[in-house]
Amino acid sequence: MAALMLSWVVKSGFEFLQTSFRTTSLAQRCTTGNVEQVRGYYVNWRMLRDVKRRQMAFEYANDRLRINAIRKNTILPKELQEVADKEIAAFPRDSCPVRIRNRCVMTSRPRGVKRRWRLSRIVFRHLADHNQMSGIQRAMW
Amino acid sequence: QRSFSTSKAISKESEESSAPKTGEKEAKVKEKKPGKSGKENLLDLLSAMKVDVTTKKKFQASKSQKSKEQPRVHPESMESATSMFQKATTEQQTQKESLSPELVAAASAVASSMPFKKSQTESELLQQLRKHESDTEVHRKGETNNIGNIIADMKVGKRPNARSPNRPANQIRFDDDGRGYTHDRGVVNEFDAVRRRKSLFTGKRLNIFPSMTDTTETEPKEVSVPSLWDIELAGQIAAVIKHLPRNGFEEMIQWTKDGKLWQYPINNEAGLEEESDVPFHEHVFLDSHLEDFPKQGPVCHFMELVINGLSKNPYLTVKQKIEHIEWFRGYFQQKEDVLKESEVY
Repeated sequence: MAALMLSWVVKSGFEFLQTSFRTTSLAQRCTTGNVEQVRGYYVNWRMLRDVKRRQMAFEYANDRLRINAIRKNTILPKELQEVADKEIAAFPRDSCPVRIRNRCVMTSRPRGVKRRWRLSRIVFRHLADHNQMSGIQRAMW
Repeated sequence: QRSFSTSKAISKESEESSAPKTGEKEAKVKEKKPGKSGKENLLDLLSAMKVDVTTKKKFQASKSQKSKEQPRVHPESMESATSMFQKATTEQQTQKESLSPELVAAASAVASSMPFKKSQTESELLQQLRKHESDTEVHRKGETNNIGNIIADMKVGKRPNARSPNRPANQIRFDDDGRGYTHDRGVVNEFDAVRRRKSLFTGKRLNIFPSMTDTTETEPKEVSVPSLWDIELAGQIAAVIKHLPRNGFEEMIQWTKDGKLWQYPINNEAGLEEESDVPFHEHVFLDSHLEDFPKQGPVCHFMELVINGLSKNPYLTVKQKIEHIEWFRGYFQQKEDVLKESEVY
């Protein structure tokens, strides 16, 4: 019974991964013509949650901007600004952009990530040493 | 992330969205013409002038005014030949495409509001507007027509067949001498006749193939909703035809077609083609959308600030700006009671 429940949870979890956040879930044909499913997963659940936060922040960006424009104001009356304060506090917590963390794209490492390449320092070094980064050279001066 | 604040990046959009006066200021910096004192005075006056209400009323008031003057090209004031050609090309283009009469009327109204040198200011304003138009046209079409326009005024000097140095030697042929060779004329002379034709399509028609109009006139076929079998068949054909990428280049081509990869050279306005058709005054003069708001009080002041910020924003489309304003309208109508308590609405 417990095993069944566990497998159901795992299955539904992976389904959730696939259905709502399709990574590369296009059915592709190999050279023989048989249809294969290409499954992709995010590196870990933390990366998935970060993706959800980004999408939600994009959704609510306009509303947050407008309500903040009303709040950070010296012209409109204070009662209106208090009402706006309560409104923005009522937004879902994941809708604020401050919660987004720039993780490494390959390993989901939260620290040591260079913004230009979106890679952590370890992955960056690995790729650069194997000549996979265009224009990157070991520094020597 | 996004904010109402002004941006310092000078992009095509910002050029379009700035009023003619700021365009003139930029042009003054760019072109560096020999200093005209009248122009500097004009700029001082325009910067001191209030923009919004008065000038707009003057735009709308004077509809039928004098016609625009032709821009004068001063050869001695040109600093380089390319700028002269560019002036010539802008002249050519303006003869084809004229400014909208509202813009012309607006320019003449602004010029007439200036205390002195009205005709000169008017012609300069119109020149700037035309330059904006031509710049946006050029930007839209890409660099395709530029060279054609630039060299349109140049006359190509055709040199006659410059093979005369060979002629004296050609006259003596060594065939009969028994050595068995003539002076090697090369394949060039054979292609001479071909090259002398100006284009592909001159010459007598052979009438071998039936002409296009007879064969391609078919009745418009009725397209019904494709059934599932049709869709499946189309998918099968597409899958057979589509070759898996053999190398990295083909993979990148496929990604570019899919939209996963940017198009190179990078076009900053990649998704925004239809936005460039929107004239700049719709970005800048957003007063007309403020009609449902109260005419006085803090709400009016706030909305004027919003409009001001939006007019300076080159990154939003006009639709997005109008959506912002409409949201505020709905929000203030919702919070009417709160506003009425503080006697503001």
